[in-house]
Amino acid sequence: MKAVPQELVIAVASGKGGTGKTSLAVHLALAGAARLRTILVDLDVEAPDSLAYFPEAIRVGRNCPVSLKVPFLIPESCSGCGACAKACHFGAIVALGGAVTIDQKLCKGCGRCVFLCPENALKERGIVVGQTRLMKSGSLDILEGRMDVGDIRSTSVIEAAKTRAASLKKEVQVRDCPPGVSCPATHAVEGADYVVLVAEPTAFSLHDLSAAISLVKGQGLKAGVVINKYGFGDADIESLCREKALPVIGRIEFKRKRASSGASGKLWTDDESYMQKIDEILKRIVHAVETDEGELG
Amino acid sequence: MTITVASGKGGAGKTSLAAALAASVGSSCIVADCDVDAANGAIALHARLRESGPYFAGPGYRMEPSLCIGCGRCMPACRFNAIRTDETRRTYLIAEELCERCGACTDHCPVDAIQGFTKEAGRLSVSDCPLGMTLIHAELVPGEDTSGKLVNQVRRRADTINPGNAIIIVDAPPGIGCPVIASLSGADIVLLVVDSTISGLRDSLRLSELAAGMDKRIIAIINKTGLDEEIDNKIRVAMTQSSIPVMGEIPFDPLLRSVEEKDLTWIDVAGEAGLKAKAAVRAVLEYAQMQMIY
Repeated sequence: MKAVPQELVIAVASGKGGTGKTSLAVHLALAGAARLRTILVDLDVEAPDSLAYFPEAIRVGRNCPVSLKVPFLIPESCSGCGACAKACHFGAIVALGGAVTIDQKLCKGCGRCVFLCPENALKERGIVVGQTRLMKSGSLDILEGRMDVGDIRSTSVIEAAKTRAASLKKEVQVRDCPPGVSCPATHAVEGADYVVLVAEPTAFSLHDLSAAISLVKGQGLKAGVVINKYGFGDADIESLCREKALPVIGRIEFKRKRASSGASGKLWTDDESYMQKIDEILKRIVHAVETDEGELG
Repeated sequence: MTITVASGKGGAGKTSLAAALAASVGSSCIVADCDVDAANGAIALHARLRESGPYFAGPGYRMEPSLCIGCGRCMPACRFNAIRTDETRRTYLIAEELCERCGACTDHCPVDAIQGFTKEAGRLSVSDCPLGMTLIHAELVPGEDTSGKLVNQVRRRADTINPGNAIIIVDAPPGIGCPVIASLSGADIVLLVVDSTISGLRDSLRLSELAAGMDKRIIAIINKTGLDEEIDNKIRVAMTQSSIPVMGEIPFDPLLRSVEEKDLTWIDVAGEAGLKAKAAVRAVLEYAQMQMIY
């Protein structure tokens, strides 16, 4: 028996978008909040939609800007040597004919150019790339990370939201992760005790689930699959899970009525059979974290 | 003429619509599947692989444990908290999933224990579709972090293949981040696929704000209508308020899924949803033709 972590961190992810991550994360968090101090963390910072389910949520605490330090040039000190441009791996600095130009939009704020400049001609200042805001609905806390439109530094916002969520010291943390398998998804699942991969029985989802499984395996995370919209299509998610030795921890059947009420962001908490499924999934996750179930090779 | 299909939200129907558009254009069409995280263009278009090559990302960094003297100077140099002490606490490690690959740590290591490495981060492919279209697609290795660069390569390959007057359909990834910006850049028209849900509306407004900031011409198709009339109306109003012309609406219908098993796209499906998809796609191409003339 393993020690139960002080805060259980559940990440709800998927390769493909639109399989039902947000609706599952929202209801898992509500099920958690019925008994334990729970926070829902929206890490889909490019398209955060968890709060659409909670129009009556009230703001608690202040909105925190997510800022990072980017360089600016002091032209009088610059010798035009180009060491900064050579050091930058993000293409944010161009040095042509002794003239240095900085594109702050491309900068990830690593500070390397500032450190390497022999003339101390680069200084740093903070710029805002997004924000986190903390809301409350009943006993559930909801923390939303939101990247500014036009920015590309989603990972900075994700990390800021993770840090703020951890500082609140809840018993359960449910993360709504972004789609895909590249950096935003990688950062969002990092540090989770358990990853729930949401799939639907379609050919697209089958293909993308396979990539998502590789991602969590690569990070050595525990995971299980929830098949959402069960019966909507006939792609064989179950066989893929068997082949990859990943447990199917829930099957939620497709219902047109549910799709209709979900479209407007209505919660399904009155739907007893649905909430019972959610409770069972939560129990499976807790059990898996306490034992070795779902351990990937 | 480049038309980029985007939505902000995942699962709105971008890939299926891009396939339907390509099928309507015909064999001269080039499709660039830029959702390199979740590349489904080849499935939607039933494509057969013609050629494929490796894609190498910029360097990643790893600590050579036998060289690390445990001085710890790398740790404060990393602004992404990617450097950790290992279990014995005598040496340091780089957590690859947090590393942004800036190389700052290498500037501070006195014994050169941190070494850069390059690895295959994906594959870039060209495929042929039964209807004659050419598909450029790529697949990122899960966990790699340079999807924007790979999208640029897909776009460049599509431009290289273009004899000059072809219509290029770009299938963008969800979100509004760097791979999306790479998919939108150079587009003559952005086709916004609005999932007829509250999330679909919110995400498409963020995407249209991004596209408008890039001075793009935006048109829309509303997908999965008929689930909630109030939302359908809200979206129609929002599109009018944003001056985004709506080319058509496609009702929610599980029948559209039937194209998965056959060499078909949405425009071949019988019934209301198929007909409306066909009409919407035709309206988009007529709009594109008008843009080419003027």
